[in-house]
Amino acid sequence: MSARRGPAGRGPAGREPAGRELFVHLHLLDRQVVDVDGRLVCKVDDLELAMDERGPYVTAILVGPRALGPRLGGRLGRWWAAIATRLLDPGRDPAPRRIDFAQVTDIGSAIKIARRTDELDIAPLEAWVDRHVIGRIPGSTHEGE
Amino acid sequence: MKASDLIGLDVVDRSGRVLGTVLELRCVLDGPPRGALAPPRIDALITSGRHAGFMLGYDRPQQRGPWLLRAIATRLHRNRRVIPWAVVEGYHSKITLSVDADDLPADG
Repeated sequence: MSARRGPAGRGPAGREPAGRELFVHLHLLDRQVVDVDGRLVCKVDDLELAMDERGPYVTAILVGPRALGPRLGGRLGRWWAAIATRLLDPGRDPAPRRIDFAQVTDIGSAIKIARRTDELDIAPLEAWVDRHVIGRIPGSTHEGE
Repeated sequence: MKASDLIGLDVVDRSGRVLGTVLELRCVLDGPPRGALAPPRIDALITSGRHAGFMLGYDRPQQRGPWLLRAIATRLHRNRRVIPWAVVEGYHSKITLSVDADDLPADG
């Protein structure tokens, strides 16, 4: 099988040459994240950075409305983030959900991670809807089965 | 710090001259290894005098595409600069550089 090369001079699929150049907007932000089984997980809403003596580097993918809201900016961004915060369970950390970059295995047309979607705690809104809306519909818990 | 904290900031050189706004962050995969990949490290800021619109990838020499789009993107962002992170001195409400604009390398 021939090695696939991507638009930024990527090496063979699944292996990234050290020193490969990429651009945050073009290659990372808003990219689809795919889990180890190929299931769609989320989009990249922002990136968490840390600093060392050589400069900033990416430590995590940030996802969800509390990551996207500040990026949108303005009234819409504040509203978007505020709604997500109000839907949080009391006492829950209001920081955006994150996927540690150590889980990333490939950056291409999608960003692949080494975990399964259900192992990640990144969809509190879905969990809220499941608990407060779906869970109240008679029969939703399969009690009659 | 988040990537979005840097994008959109004005860049000011040592003498206080505004060079443009950060539109894009160029990275290399050489951060401290933590998993299968070395994390992307920001090695340069791409700035332009225009806030709106990106360069559709035409800021990369290897990007192929219609010449007309390249010409339009290049014209709109003709004052684009590639600023190495090594000359960044501060990055809060604006990005301040340790050098004057004339001392920046030609293209990062």
